Amino acid sequence: MTLAFILSGFLVVTFVLVICKRITALIRAFRIESVFLFLYTLYMGITQRHADLFIVCGLIFALKAVIIPFVLLRITRRINVEEDLGLLVNPQLSMVIALIFAYLSYLFAHKAMSLVNLAESAAFIVSITAVCIGFFIMVSRMKALGQIIGLLVMENGIFLAAGSIAGGMPFFIEIALFFDVFVFVVIVEVFVYKVNRLFTHIDTSKMKSLKG
Amino acid sequence: MSKARKIKLWGIINVIGYALLLTACILFTKNFLATGSVAVALWGWLYVDSLSVFFLLTTSVVCFAASIYSIGYIDAEVEAGKISPRKAIVYFQLFNLFSLTMLIVPLLNNLAFVWIAIEMTTLVSAFLVGFHNVKESIEAAWKYIIICSVGITFALLGIIFFYYTSSQNAGVKSLDWSNMFSGSGMFDPKVVRLALIFILVGYGTKAGLAPMHNWLPDAHSQALSPISGLLSGVLIKISLYAILRFVMLANLSVGYAYSAKLFIFFGLFSIALAGAFILVQKDLKRLLAYSSVENIGLVSLGLGFGPFGGVFAGLLQAFNHAVTKALMFFCAGEAVRTYHTNNMNEMRGMIKLMPFAGTAMFLGFFALVGMPPFSIFISKLSILIAAFHGGYYFIAAFMLIFIALAFAGLLYHMSRMILGDAPKAMKARKESLSAKTAFIFLGVFILGLGLMIPQPFFNLLVNCQQLILGK
Repeated sequence: MTLAFILSGFLVVTFVLVICKRITALIRAFRIESVFLFLYTLYMGITQRHADLFIVCGLIFALKAVIIPFVLLRITRRINVEEDLGLLVNPQLSMVIALIFAYLSYLFAHKAMSLVNLAESAAFIVSITAVCIGFFIMVSRMKALGQIIGLLVMENGIFLAAGSIAGGMPFFIEIALFFDVFVFVVIVEVFVYKVNRLFTHIDTSKMKSLKG
Repeated sequence: MSKARKIKLWGIINVIGYALLLTACILFTKNFLATGSVAVALWGWLYVDSLSVFFLLTTSVVCFAASIYSIGYIDAEVEAGKISPRKAIVYFQLFNLFSLTMLIVPLLNNLAFVWIAIEMTTLVSAFLVGFHNVKESIEAAWKYIIICSVGITFALLGIIFFYYTSSQNAGVKSLDWSNMFSGSGMFDPKVVRLALIFILVGYGTKAGLAPMHNWLPDAHSQALSPISGLLSGVLIKISLYAILRFVMLANLSVGYAYSAKLFIFFGLFSIALAGAFILVQKDLKRLLAYSSVENIGLVSLGLGFGPFGGVFAGLLQAFNHAVTKALMFFCAGEAVRTYHTNNMNEMRGMIKLMPFAGTAMFLGFFALVGMPPFSIFISKLSILIAAFHGGYYFIAAFMLIFIALAFAGLLYHMSRMILGDAPKAMKARKESLSAKTAFIFLGVFILGLGLMIPQPFFNLLVNCQQLILGK
């Protein structure tokens, strides 16, 4: 029951991500998605009685629900960018595409991976949906921040996948992966500032000096 | 100490460091081949077999050459006012960090740490791609970070699938390659097939395989020339190393034939696409970058013809391409400095303006397109022999057509650039000693391996072939 609530919460927020039109809305939705990832890990920690998992879920909360959204919101404040995300695909169509992704993920889990355990396969389907939707956000949003968040959503999906089918990765590796995500966000922040300074915008669809 | 001297000192210390590293690598290889064992160190954190040694050797050779070339290159850039003295020192620090992340990949046992190290190579080298802080280079760096990070995220999904089948079917709850390998016979073939596709698409993005190669021409053309050499020479091979590790894991469950099919598909795609782009290129460094896509395609094809001697040929091609392409990018760096442009239409009479670099580029070009007596001729021929030996006549014919296409494109551009009359206003200029040394060092490998392959190196490649094919 609890698991069903957490997973459906995660899925709903992931769907909300594709209809966000403003950058700050997207960041906030990402934050809520991370909170659901935190709840999922917490639930696993409690049911499996693993001390490691509590540290991991603490890190998820600190990094993905607090620090990264804070950094991203700070970028939007500092570069004073206009709020519009620049959707290449409108929200309605995006929603339809997201639903198709969810159905394909369902097929993938049952036909290709032949998962049988209900809880396991439900979490796996949600995670693959999140990976697909993250990728979709990356390619269909023009602003640089949209691409960063798309990648982070993909990563959230992958963390969920690791927790669902593989019962979580070995402890040290999870820590190292968190470190990697953190470094990625810090470095990308530097580059967003550079892009903004040189181009006076962060619209990646207008970056066209390199061709062929 | 004055800034200029400090920069020189950094450069010289770097060269000494990489010389020591190269010597250590060679000694280690010798020792390794003599005992023929697998080395595991630091409580199983490091794992070294022939494959690791081969990639370590390739990396240290090119890093050494790049460190030599960097001295003269950075010196001239600082003098021309393109790089401030403070940034020059940052360059050397980033250079070392970049080399470190690449050198560590073949040594690590844990596949997740390999993944992290490869992601770090992207993040560090992005600063070297966007070093000049102008629109083009920042755009290239942005594309590079985003595309490679997405690619590698797919690879992470592949790793998780491997981990899933390893823990469920084989009972190995570890991401250490050595542990997973011991249980790889019990992997679920269905999951492994899927996982391998994610791995090939993911790491293939970083390796520059088409159709995921979009970032490569931008990043390689915008980076500083010594770094372009490293990117084309080593970085894309390091990604290939990661792919090979997973191919070895998949051998016992789905067989090498499955991986071979994937390699052939991506390889053909790459050489076809690169051939077309080489013909229409105007920018010298982009031309060389597309040639890298072509060559990684050839390596991939070689691996695809694996069971028929193709793995040997493919790895040999990887090494030969690494040294040859490094030489070409260094020469291109000299050319760009002389003409102040990347546009090949404005470069004429290179051999008159810079006799040494011009000659090196001329010979390097013949080596690159696969003329005897240079080394790439041997490896390309071996790949073709493997193709015919395996009965892939159709694919071999396609491969020959596209090689010919790339050959024609390169010949057209290079002959116009290197020969011909130099613009009247330009005078021949002094060429730096460091560039000459780097050219000669790389030239020894290019010519030497074309004439004969030393027995230890041959043995190393044969060992790698046996490892990859799982025999």
